[in-house]
Amino acid sequence: MSQPVVHITHLNLKYHHTLVLQDLNWTINPGENWLLRGISGSGKTSLAKAIAGQVRYQGDITINFNPESSLPPIVHYVANWYQFKDLEGQSNFYYQQRYNKQAVETTATVKAELEEYGKKHQLQFTEVEILLEALGFSDLKDSTLIQLSSGEHKKLQLIKALWLKPQLLIIDQPYNGLDKLSRQNLNGLFESISAAGTQLILISNDKELPAAIHRFAKIDTGKLVEIKVDDHLLETDQVTGKQIPEFLNQAPVSSTGSVISMSGVNISYGDKQVLKNINWEVNAGEKWLLQGHNGSGKSTLLSLVTGDHPQAYANNFQLFGYQRGSGESIWDIKKRIGLISPELHWYFDPSATVKQSVISGFFDSSGLFCEPDYTKKTQADELISYFGLVDEQHTLLNQLPLGKQRLAFLARTIIKNPELLILDEPCQGLDQQQTQNFNRLVDELCKNGTTLIYVGHFESQLPACIEKRILLENGEVKSVEFKNQTTY
Amino acid sequence: MSNYFNTLPLREKLNQLGVCDFMDSSEFLDGVSALKGKKLVIVGCGAQGLNQGLNLRDSGLNVSYTLRKEAIEGKRDSWKNATENNFAVGTYEELIPEADVVINLTPDKQHTSVVNAIMPLMKKGATLLYSHGFNIVEEGMQIRKDITVIMVAPKCPGSEVRAEYVRGFGVPTLIAVHPENDPEGKGLAQAKAYCVGTGGHRAGVLKSSFVAEVKSDLMGEQTILCGLLQTGSILSFDKMVEKGIDAGYASRLVQYGVEVITEALKQGGITAMMDRLSNVAKIKAFEISEELKTIMRPLFQKHQDDIMSGEFSRTMMEDWAAGDKNLLAWRAATGETAFEKTPAGNVKIGEQEYFDNALLMVAFIRAGVELAFETMVEAGIKPESAYYESLHETPLIANTIARKKLFEMNRVISDTAEYGCYLFDHACKPLLADFMKHVEADLIGKNFNEGKDGAVDNRTLIAINEVIRSHQVETIGAELRKAMTAMKSIKTV
Repeated sequence: MSQPVVHITHLNLKYHHTLVLQDLNWTINPGENWLLRGISGSGKTSLAKAIAGQVRYQGDITINFNPESSLPPIVHYVANWYQFKDLEGQSNFYYQQRYNKQAVETTATVKAELEEYGKKHQLQFTEVEILLEALGFSDLKDSTLIQLSSGEHKKLQLIKALWLKPQLLIIDQPYNGLDKLSRQNLNGLFESISAAGTQLILISNDKELPAAIHRFAKIDTGKLVEIKVDDHLLETDQVTGKQIPEFLNQAPVSSTGSVISMSGVNISYGDKQVLKNINWEVNAGEKWLLQGHNGSGKSTLLSLVTGDHPQAYANNFQLFGYQRGSGESIWDIKKRIGLISPELHWYFDPSATVKQSVISGFFDSSGLFCEPDYTKKTQADELISYFGLVDEQHTLLNQLPLGKQRLAFLARTIIKNPELLILDEPCQGLDQQQTQNFNRLVDELCKNGTTLIYVGHFESQLPACIEKRILLENGEVKSVEFKNQTTY
Repeated sequence: MSNYFNTLPLREKLNQLGVCDFMDSSEFLDGVSALKGKKLVIVGCGAQGLNQGLNLRDSGLNVSYTLRKEAIEGKRDSWKNATENNFAVGTYEELIPEADVVINLTPDKQHTSVVNAIMPLMKKGATLLYSHGFNIVEEGMQIRKDITVIMVAPKCPGSEVRAEYVRGFGVPTLIAVHPENDPEGKGLAQAKAYCVGTGGHRAGVLKSSFVAEVKSDLMGEQTILCGLLQTGSILSFDKMVEKGIDAGYASRLVQYGVEVITEALKQGGITAMMDRLSNVAKIKAFEISEELKTIMRPLFQKHQDDIMSGEFSRTMMEDWAAGDKNLLAWRAATGETAFEKTPAGNVKIGEQEYFDNALLMVAFIRAGVELAFETMVEAGIKPESAYYESLHETPLIANTIARKKLFEMNRVISDTAEYGCYLFDHACKPLLADFMKHVEADLIGKNFNEGKDGAVDNRTLIAINEVIRSHQVETIGAELRKAMTAMKSIKTV
């Protein structure tokens, strides 16, 4: 019998002083493709990084590559977090930067980035075209890195990895931020790469998986346990049953009947029109779902509402009853909105602790830059306790597993009990139980008259309170529907 | 036009040099109201112009841009910057007559021609805003008496001004009102409102004067900030190569070393920087930096004297008139230095190694910061201003060297700073020739601690610690840094 590709024995691994993997054993044989599951913080990412040789561990991990394979004998790990630098080698970005135009570009184009990557790894450029096509990326070749959304950055990561075709490919959260069609196409690409000899380990709690995946495992209390495909995960029950803090039980201060009133809104960059003739009315207390494929214009539309888009000043629309650009500041707008988005999370102040991040929600700042008063601190304490983050409150946010970072951001989003909640893929990186709990919390909050705009690609994971849907396609409103007219 | 500063009686010179007040956040409670509903017209749309304008508009103010006809017709970058972000753009004739506040964000060199073109078009009682006082103080530009003249100068590049604003913070900012042009007494209120509009009020505002800003800014940039970093980098690199150290290593040690070393300076002043060295190394670095201070003091004094007398700006303006002949020649020569032409080698240098193997750089920086500070204070500039223009800005400039060496530093700073930097560098290198003859590789390139047992005399160490820590740049710096960090992040919760 041939040697196993990965042979792990007695693996012990600490993540910031906590032992997450304890005496873990795992054997991956040639030809096997695995799915790895586990609740948030169970050690999935740590295990992947250990196999890829990116973290220290105790115990033994042996990797045996196939000497006869023409594929590069490497383990390639695709992180759940993307990173890039500007042309000066710095990465001091802010989340609104993609909407601010500068005549002189500060980041490379997708094309230049791929050319450099291809040259470094000696790859054929004809092969990347197929991948770009499959993931709907062909039109983005001339975009600069700063202009890409988080879903598009995820795709760029995947394109690079699939182009490289390593013997062992580990992907942490491959489906984050991808729309339904992209997820299906990605699974098709996984099928063909695995047929060509690349072995896969996918880390995901998703259900729609490529057929090539035929073994399933989860991490449970530090050990690897093989499971059946539809086994339910043993979830921790961190939130259910808890009372939401009293200060969030009150109706938000709402001053206006019309929250958003857009007519004929257009946004274009040069010749490229990203929003075309948008008409949209949102009234106080309505619960909306905003949907559309990757690149359909969802984020741009929301950036107009949150005061983050400079072209707002050239368009005709009203926010909270006031004509946009009539002397209000963006801070006047932001104080009425609780916002969470993948980009806000990605570009957040890396020197902020969990507690500082939560409190910053009162000030709509990407980091905490002033001294909060006693009430604010107390309310932050209540929410931190509600989300089960008491032990981590003084830890730097970016040192927590992604799922816990998300919980802190959710607390930040709702802390001021805003009249408008904008939840742009709020549950990315959360496990199913956490997602359900959060959506239940959203339902609870929205009982008091909060207006909601929710963006989610996974249709099975939405709050129950949603009553209306606006669907975008290629920058245009495809449809506006009531919930009872359709199922989504 | 004649130098404004030189027209003042001594008492008034000292009076204006001495304006310096770190403003309390309670001074900004009126927000942007002094500018609300007013027409703000920005002249020029480069990095500062665009990013300040984006912030002002996002603060609810009415902002448009005026550009020269050629820039509009040629659809130059400045025109693209403004129009692609949906600002109204017009010629001077179209927009200036209606403007309540005209914001001049063009380069120093163009100020006279720009101001001469816009002033006749400005309406009675309007305000003219500068971000640097050179035109008023050194060139002696006379502004019509009905016009209010103020300065608001964010102490960071334009991209940072925007980034910090949208994060909900801001960048430290200096403001001033020109005493000859405040006919309605509204200058300060407008300058404060402008700070709120760009977010500067959240990060700390220093009230200064046109005179104090110009004289301290010129002194800082010519000596410690750019001049000395250039001289120190070139001499350190050449010495390492002379002593047989790998050129790639030497290039990396200097290029990234200035950034690593001055990061300690940023966090905790000269004290923290010196404390990164072992005790023996610290004593040595102290001794060398004292020696350097003695050698270089006359040069620092000459620069300060020439700045105060107007001699510096006179010669620089001669070069402007000659089409930047000297500036361009000196810039080209800097590009030809061995340090500039040797790429950083592909070697890993640990963080502590940047201190242990570059004791000479540490000594250069201590000597330069203290000399610049001392010389400015002796000349009548307040210690707070002197701190900002010496120690505070050194790490910001060092970052640019880490990016792309001296080329990048000289590209980022103004032409005025660049001109002064070369003047200093050309005079400083010969001055240090004898000193450099005695420098061995243990001071630069190799670990100073190697082969030493590390023993020191207690009393010597205590004495030099005392000298370092009790220097005025340290006492004033500790206070100002505390005020700024308290605003940047709240470590108590």
